[in-house]
Amino acid sequence: MFQTYEEIKRWRHDTMPSVADDHFQLNAFHDQVMYQTVGIAKTKVESEQGTTPAPFAFFLMGSAGRFEQSVWSDQDHGIVFDGVDQKYFLKLGEEISHGLAIVGYELCEGKVMASNSLWCQSVDSFKEQIVGWLEEASWQSLRNFSILFDSRVLNGDEELLLQLKREAFSVLEKEPHLYARLMENFEFIKKGVGVFGQLLPEQRQGMKGEIHLKETAYFPYVNAIRILALRNGVSAAPTLERLVSLADTHPFVNEYEQDFRKLLDFRLRFRKEATNYEKVHLLPIAQLSKQDKQALKYLIKRGNQLFSKAKSVLKEEGAL
Amino acid sequence: MDATFLMNNLWIIVCTVLVLLMQGGFILLEAGSTRMKNAGHIAGKTVFTVGIVSLVFWAVGYGIIYGEGNAIIGFSDFFYGDASTMGEGLAGSVDFMFQLAFAAIAMTIAFGGFAERAKLIAYVIFAVLFSIVIYPVIAHWIWGAGWLADHGKQDFAGSTVVHLTGAMAALAATMILKPRIGKYNKDGSSNEIAGHNQVFTALGVLLLWVGWFGFNAGSTFGVENAFFGYVALNTQLAAGAGAIGAMLMVWAVTGKADVPTTLNGALAGLVAITASCAFVEPWAAVLIGLIGGAFVFFSMKFFDKKKIDDPIFALSVHGTVGVWGTLSNGLFATPELATVGRPGLFYGGGFEQLGVQLMGVVACGLYAFIVSWIILKVMEKAMGSLRVTEEEEIMGLDISEHGGYGYPENFTSTTKSGA
Repeated sequence: MFQTYEEIKRWRHDTMPSVADDHFQLNAFHDQVMYQTVGIAKTKVESEQGTTPAPFAFFLMGSAGRFEQSVWSDQDHGIVFDGVDQKYFLKLGEEISHGLAIVGYELCEGKVMASNSLWCQSVDSFKEQIVGWLEEASWQSLRNFSILFDSRVLNGDEELLLQLKREAFSVLEKEPHLYARLMENFEFIKKGVGVFGQLLPEQRQGMKGEIHLKETAYFPYVNAIRILALRNGVSAAPTLERLVSLADTHPFVNEYEQDFRKLLDFRLRFRKEATNYEKVHLLPIAQLSKQDKQALKYLIKRGNQLFSKAKSVLKEEGAL
Repeated sequence: MDATFLMNNLWIIVCTVLVLLMQGGFILLEAGSTRMKNAGHIAGKTVFTVGIVSLVFWAVGYGIIYGEGNAIIGFSDFFYGDASTMGEGLAGSVDFMFQLAFAAIAMTIAFGGFAERAKLIAYVIFAVLFSIVIYPVIAHWIWGAGWLADHGKQDFAGSTVVHLTGAMAALAATMILKPRIGKYNKDGSSNEIAGHNQVFTALGVLLLWVGWFGFNAGSTFGVENAFFGYVALNTQLAAGAGAIGAMLMVWAVTGKADVPTTLNGALAGLVAITASCAFVEPWAAVLIGLIGGAFVFFSMKFFDKKKIDDPIFALSVHGTVGVWGTLSNGLFATPELATVGRPGLFYGGGFEQLGVQLMGVVACGLYAFIVSWIILKVMEKAMGSLRVTEEEEIMGLDISEHGGYGYPENFTSTTKSGA
């Protein structure tokens, strides 16, 4: 198939316009692009360092992990492996990061990448890491934990990642007070609608007049569903899959599924021409028609509502 | 018109401006003592809460303090605006302005306990309620026709009324808000969260020092016998002694002359002499300031050990030292100068005045603390939380509460959110 990262880059560039209108097609395409990139990286490392020493899983996190990427996205990924040969897998992680950067996925500023030893560990040490993060329960450690929880295997043995998630569920079952700390971690919701019912754009230089879709509209849905997924032992990462899994235990989430789908479509409709990762979350309000503004305000309101409901559910269950 | 009357009024309006200028001192002191990401917020909230206090003081505060009523509160003269009113040799409006500036200082001290973690809306609501049910009630007790005034409590310029009241509200706030993220470790040890600019802090202290002449010397309410000069002299000596006392103490104990402690020492000297500046001799002013400065160091250590996170040391500077300043009257007030109450212990007055001072401190301190606690707890219940979310606290209140940075060039993007 592809021999070089540049070939994949061209393929990505040529194909993107035809899939950018449809959330599922777009994300399936991203998966393909990244899968091919990992394939080249793996071959390259194997040719230099020998065959992979043990079973492993390369997994995606962040929006890719949730199968919710827009046209542009940065890299968020990790490797979990059997055995002890971290050096080998770090090399692989480095090569994958390098390849993905060439193909069109910016390096992660927060270094959430398999080239970083924090995100490239054996099953056992990852499990210890999870217990450690939850024990520490600081803002950053819980943020790391929730980043890891939004993960999905792209290449390799899915069972390895599942083991990590099962470890997390078992800790949470024993330490239910952690839900309150996790909730505090997710609680910040950037205000998107003002007291007069107007959309609230950014005021900062370079973003003036643009609304931050990710922070105002998208995060409340994702965070609400994530905490419910943690509470109910749902290991899938995509918000839509989590919604389906949660529907039996919490039927109220059903009514938000359509809203979340609309939000994903809304983002694609306006942002498919974005030229970089930063801009993909920022939507100039002037571009929106009156109906679009109404629709966006409604979606923001519904996200906030979902978040409050999730919080109430946890409170009623005595978890908060 | 009588020249003395005009001189009195001119002097007090000048002092009003000096006391108002102390807010500038607080802006620099607080901004310098906190982190860059909160600098704009700290500065901006000081200005708008002075605005809130001004309106509330005009509407009800002044009336509660000086209106006709009973020993607990006054209740006339609301929405003050009688240009012809005269009292204590001052035009009513001049007196009103001077008192307003004091109320605003107490408020700013109280907000020290909110620093770097309270929601903006918590400032707004607490500013209104503090200016109605806390500060004016205590001011009425001591400076109006209240029950402590009847006992002869000596608090010349407000060690108790302004500083202790503000500090006790700050204590309630800082206990309810809990420590800032990263202040204490799991093993109970504490981390220093250093302020971002010691030069600002030093300038803030100097501005406060200068403004304090309006605060103390202005509390003479007139120019008669130029007594304000004597009050200013005592103020200057105590401030100087406070800085020296604190610096010597921190140097002796830690081996380093820590700058923030030294600066707090100067403020401690000023707070300590505030109650007694008109009642004691200069040598006593030096001693009162020196002890205040030494106290502030130990008090800072004490609160830190007790895991009470006090980012700008309001509890120590205004609370602990406010108590010391008030009690010092009971020790050092001279028979000639004690125009209110009785001489102190060292001047043959026995324990009587010390007892009155102690009663005032306990009553006012408890009232300010308990009522602040209740108000803040009710607010917390109604608002869900008084504190910003962890994410907002980490990104800083400049951006989370105001949408822009005090130092824009230093911040290009918010924290990595991980998704």
